[in-house]
Amino acid sequence: MNILLLLVPLSLMLLLLAIGAFVWAVKRGQFDDLDTPGLDILVDDDEPPASGQEDRDAD
Amino acid sequence: MTATPATIARATRADGAIQVAATDCFHCGEPLPAVPARLRLDGAERAFCCDGCAAAAQWIRDARLDDYYRLRSELATRVSVDQSDIALWDRAEVLDEHARNVPGGRELTLLTDGMRCAACAWLIDRALTREPGVLEVNANAVTGRIRIAWDPARTSLSSPLRRLMALGYRPYLATGEARERARRSERNRWLLRLGVAGLGAMQAMMFAEALYLDTSGSMSHALRDFLRWVTFLVATPVVFYAGWPFLAGCARELRHRSPGMDTLIATSTLLAYFASLVETLRGGPQVWYDAAVMFVFLLLAARMLEQRVRNVATAQVDALARARPAFATREREDGSRELVPLAALMVDDVACIAAGEAVPADGVLLDGEAGFEESLLTGEAHAVHKTAGMPVFAGTVCRERPARMRVTATGSATRLSQLAHLVEQAQAHRPPLAQAADRIASWFVFAMLAVAALTFLGWRAYEPARAFEVALAVLVISCPCALSLSVPAALAAANGALAKLGVLPLRPDALDRLARASDVVFDKTGTLSDGKPWLVEADTFGGMDRVRALRIAAALERDSGHPLAQAFSDVQAEAESASNLIAIAGHGIEGSLGADRWRLGHAPYACGGEDDGALWLGDGRQAFARFVVRERERVDARAALDALRHEGIAVHLCSGDAHAAVDRLATTLGITEANPRQTPEAKLAYVRQLQQQGRRVAMVGDGLNDAPVLAGADVSIAMGEGAALAQRAADLVLASPALIRIPAAIALARDTRRIVRQNFGWALGYNLLALPLAMAGVVSPWMAALGMALSSLVVTLNALRLARGNTTSVESPLLDGAAAEVRA
Repeated sequence: MNILLLLVPLSLMLLLLAIGAFVWAVKRGQFDDLDTPGLDILVDDDEPPASGQEDRDAD
Repeated sequence: MTATPATIARATRADGAIQVAATDCFHCGEPLPAVPARLRLDGAERAFCCDGCAAAAQWIRDARLDDYYRLRSELATRVSVDQSDIALWDRAEVLDEHARNVPGGRELTLLTDGMRCAACAWLIDRALTREPGVLEVNANAVTGRIRIAWDPARTSLSSPLRRLMALGYRPYLATGEARERARRSERNRWLLRLGVAGLGAMQAMMFAEALYLDTSGSMSHALRDFLRWVTFLVATPVVFYAGWPFLAGCARELRHRSPGMDTLIATSTLLAYFASLVETLRGGPQVWYDAAVMFVFLLLAARMLEQRVRNVATAQVDALARARPAFATREREDGSRELVPLAALMVDDVACIAAGEAVPADGVLLDGEAGFEESLLTGEAHAVHKTAGMPVFAGTVCRERPARMRVTATGSATRLSQLAHLVEQAQAHRPPLAQAADRIASWFVFAMLAVAALTFLGWRAYEPARAFEVALAVLVISCPCALSLSVPAALAAANGALAKLGVLPLRPDALDRLARASDVVFDKTGTLSDGKPWLVEADTFGGMDRVRALRIAAALERDSGHPLAQAFSDVQAEAESASNLIAIAGHGIEGSLGADRWRLGHAPYACGGEDDGALWLGDGRQAFARFVVRERERVDARAALDALRHEGIAVHLCSGDAHAAVDRLATTLGITEANPRQTPEAKLAYVRQLQQQGRRVAMVGDGLNDAPVLAGADVSIAMGEGAALAQRAADLVLASPALIRIPAAIALARDTRRIVRQNFGWALGYNLLALPLAMAGVVSPWMAALGMALSSLVVTLNALRLARGNTTSVESPLLDGAAAEVRA
């Protein structure tokens, strides 16, 4: 059972790591908007915009 | 957010994307004009209401962002081509005050009004990032805010903002930024607490499990104590960091000598924690760290959900608060103009408002005429025409042409602020029902502490080893959290759902009273008719062909843009357009079709006859046709009344109008209880008479001159123009005159009442059932914590059903039918 003396502190380290990652994510605003980023994966391609984007006739 | 009737009536496809009727603009969903702009998009020909919308759609297509149309779950706002005020954003005063310096450029936070769903935020993100000189864009659909960082050396701020406006999103300066930041950091703190509690609770449970599984007691004492100390280590931040809101709440409640929910939570948690610590120190048989951490985690989750519900409800208030501009243009004595901060604007100053700018304060329009868009107050996107001497309100947007006004009220004295304040008050106020729940919870706490103590003493005499454990379980299981949460959670969710419907509750108990309504009395004919003209009769004279007369009239009306044009919109107009049009206000219009000159208007103008209220077509001397045009009932009136009857509500009409008009409307809509020629006193008497019969009366009026009647009813609903919204006489206000929202609001109110009852029943039933079990020692502390917190979660989730609006009666087939009718 001596292996526990290694494994338990290891799990505590992992816990600290997980909490650290969570704090980082919250501070960086990862949870500010939970709706918009979900749309990104629904868009298939990231093709470059057509040249028509440059003309400003829509203004 | 205030939604236009169009967005309410829109059918949503199963995948969330919106389907637009062929007669409406593909971009914004407004009705199409006679000659719509057309564009090929998404594999089909689409029609648009105006050049602005078409240009926006074209840009979106060319930029390969047309996925937006598939992703959106709400329609866009109509794109205005007017961008006259955009240069204001480049002024040094604006930038100095609001922009921050960031590496590589400057940063500014904007608010926008048209961001209705996540797809808008997606579109803004993509569109603005492609603008040259823009460093970073972050659009948040939840808060309606856009954070934009740009490089001043490469672009001025106005050029990306011009793109934003071309897409239909009007930028506002983000006021209340500090409040929003405070709210965000508050939310982040809660998230952190929840994360720490969740991760910590999981670990603590794991170690506790190892201890529980040692049923034969074969674990060495050294290992057992090691595991206990590790659990202690993990549980400490959960109890004291994550559980801090409960501890602080407990301290506050004790200071005020009114023990409540937090007292019980904190007592149970601390008792479990410290008892475990004592057991760990002296090597006792049992520890309860797991119960303590699980209690904290699950209750935090429940509270977090409740706060989310609340935040959705306050979004409406934010929309109201955002409309004020940061600067105002003041006219000096000598006629020159200066830009002053809003706070420097005083009563009796003369303020100038450029077209497209928001009105800075309440005031009186000074000269000429102007159009004001009062969408913020009424939810209607169309401009309201005003002439000199009429009141204008802060937060409305000046359209078409610049205006001057004399300021009559500023800052918190404006209608806008009062309205925002009223709504805030109504939402913050705890209604009697919730107060009662709190009071019950308070004496409940005393009773429970006593019961726990008695249980402890009883078990101590019977089986001392388990006495503490059983008493702890009793304390945990009896916590009336679910009881306390049941009402506020449901009300907060209902307020959010109401706001989405465009109904603002102004009185705290409005919802409760609305749920009890058994009769709806419409106070005016005008609440049921839409004020839009409708052709009912057409007679011709002098050899004129009926069809030809209609076509001529339709062509004249179409090309003049006259309000009566709608009456002829079903008629196939002459293909040729009318030329040399002259419109004479109050008389009619004159124009040439081919070689002939026509006049359309009242009889003296069109044919020199006697005015009989009808519309005449003539050449100035001779009459050729006579049209009778009447107002029609609102498109959704029939559906709304049917929905009301379906809910078992009787419909009455009390009107000051003449017999003929009232009878016609009542017959069309099938109202049997119609009373014409009613004075306000007679209306009040009618309401009182109904009340004496034991009916609960909901009164629908415009809230302007019928205050006593509205106040006399059990619950009153005001619908109408912006000014009326600030009337205190009404309990609820319809942000835009869409009748279908009345049955929807009543259905929602009834759902709310049902859910509050369910929650009450559940919470009480759970406590009554679980308490004897806990006292009998059947339930261990961790099971108690789980059961307790689960019951809190259940009531909160139950309340959240209201916010989603997918309770059965809101989506009744009748309402869907109404939506179809509005579309058609």
